[in-house]
Amino acid sequence: MDAEPILKVADVTKKFGNLVAVNRASLEVNRGEIVGLIGPNGAGKTTLFNAISGLYRPEEGTVFFKGMNITNWLPHKICKLGMSRTFQVTRAFTHMTVEDTVRVGAYNRFNEKNVQDKVDQVIKVCELVDIRKRVCEDLGLASLRKVELARALATEPEMLLLDEAGAGLNATELATFMDLIKKLNQESQITFCVVEHVMQMVMGLCQRIVVLDSGEIIAAGTPNEISNNARVIEAYLGKRAVHARNQ
Amino acid sequence: MFETATQGIITGILMGAIYALIALGLSIVFGIMNVTNFAHGDFVMLSMYLSFAVGSALAWDAVATPLITAPLMFLFGIITYYLLIDRTLRQMYVVQLAVTVGLQILMRSAALIIWQAQPRALQYSFIQGNIQIGDFQILTSRLFSAVVSLIFIAGMAYFMNKTWAGRAMRAASDDLGAASLMGVNYHKTYALTFAIGSSITALAGGLVMSFQQTDPVGGIRFGLLSWAVLALAGLGSLPGLIVAGIIVGVVESLTVSFFDPRSRLLGVYAIFILVLWLRPRGLFGRR
Repeated sequence: MDAEPILKVADVTKKFGNLVAVNRASLEVNRGEIVGLIGPNGAGKTTLFNAISGLYRPEEGTVFFKGMNITNWLPHKICKLGMSRTFQVTRAFTHMTVEDTVRVGAYNRFNEKNVQDKVDQVIKVCELVDIRKRVCEDLGLASLRKVELARALATEPEMLLLDEAGAGLNATELATFMDLIKKLNQESQITFCVVEHVMQMVMGLCQRIVVLDSGEIIAAGTPNEISNNARVIEAYLGKRAVHARNQ
Repeated sequence: MFETATQGIITGILMGAIYALIALGLSIVFGIMNVTNFAHGDFVMLSMYLSFAVGSALAWDAVATPLITAPLMFLFGIITYYLLIDRTLRQMYVVQLAVTVGLQILMRSAALIIWQAQPRALQYSFIQGNIQIGDFQILTSRLFSAVVSLIFIAGMAYFMNKTWAGRAMRAASDDLGAASLMGVNYHKTYALTFAIGSSITALAGGLVMSFQQTDPVGGIRFGLLSWAVLALAGLGSLPGLIVAGIIVGVVESLTVSFFDPRSRLLGVYAIFILVLWLRPRGLFGRR
């Protein structure tokens, strides 16, 4: 692993009017890691993702990616630098076919002459061969999650932000999805930062977990450390749960 | 009666193909950028004046003038986008409306100052004359313009579906945020979209100038016709745009044939209102 983290978020604050959605959040992700970002609903996870990926401009703080200060960069420039993402509520291009959707991502690195090879490769990796000619608006959630992943992979990212990619998947689909993420991490050396509510996916996938609550980072550590952290249990289940656990 | 109706339908179909081309510019700007360009008809008016200026200066046929006016309008589109439209995208919708209506007034006033109020027409076109089929006459200039319009629309469909820029434009139309995060530069994509929309009016302007004159308020008619075609077709279907253009053309032509020529837009407006009332998505619209 490189000494310098691939992603460094320093004291990022994002407000919506008087509401502080993310408050001086800091985290680091090392190259090759799979890091989980968890927290109760409304904790600010997706807002933080949006601030990292350029959709939102943070009021304070800085975001460094590959050593470069990308705070306030436009999303397409961040994508060109090597970061891509998926969305909590799937945002595949509804009127385009699966193949064309993936192709839009592939244009990030490839031109018209050599884009097809990349599209074919990603479609195969994400097991979308059978539905490559179908229009996205006709697909179910599991397929849309794969299309979003394929589109993001086609941009050839060094880091991928997955926003609740496991939500709505059944046990089999989830297991397949997790295998794919592990494979991409190990074989393609893609770094992952994963926002997730599905604990099976967080615990089974992530080497490190960062916990966000009410816009603030309250804990960070290995899955085992996090599952025994009193502040995390309190954030998820309330003070009585911590008290009951200690008795 | 039958002859009059048939002649009206033939003329309407030919004009309808040209209306579809004019509406195509409006359709891609509205459909991809969600920008309501109320000045679209005046872009056609400006294109017709440019066609007149180029045709007069170089003694060119009107239908050849888009070779010069299309790049000029493309440039005009890019400048207009960066100077005006881009600044309205993150504003309230009413700002966009005010800016495009202001642009409309500015263009009309500029045309009035530069070319004065009297109508302007080019003297000669190599496609003048008629084709006689039985009892029916087809103006060669309209037939030529309709064929060129349909070929261009087909070419545009290919561009949108098979090229990098076209796919980027469609992706931005579907979800701008997601497209940006996949590497699509939305500033460039929007500028290109607006520029293409503008240069389409140059082609349409050159074709229309082969059989029609222009004046500073000529854009009102083309603007309203474009909105009627777009409302009828809905967004996202180029074949739908052609069918809608033909319906509008035929209704306009039959109104002229059977009623007072001054009421030519009455039937078109009736369709416009009915469609917005009964089917706001249009006949072929996806959204």
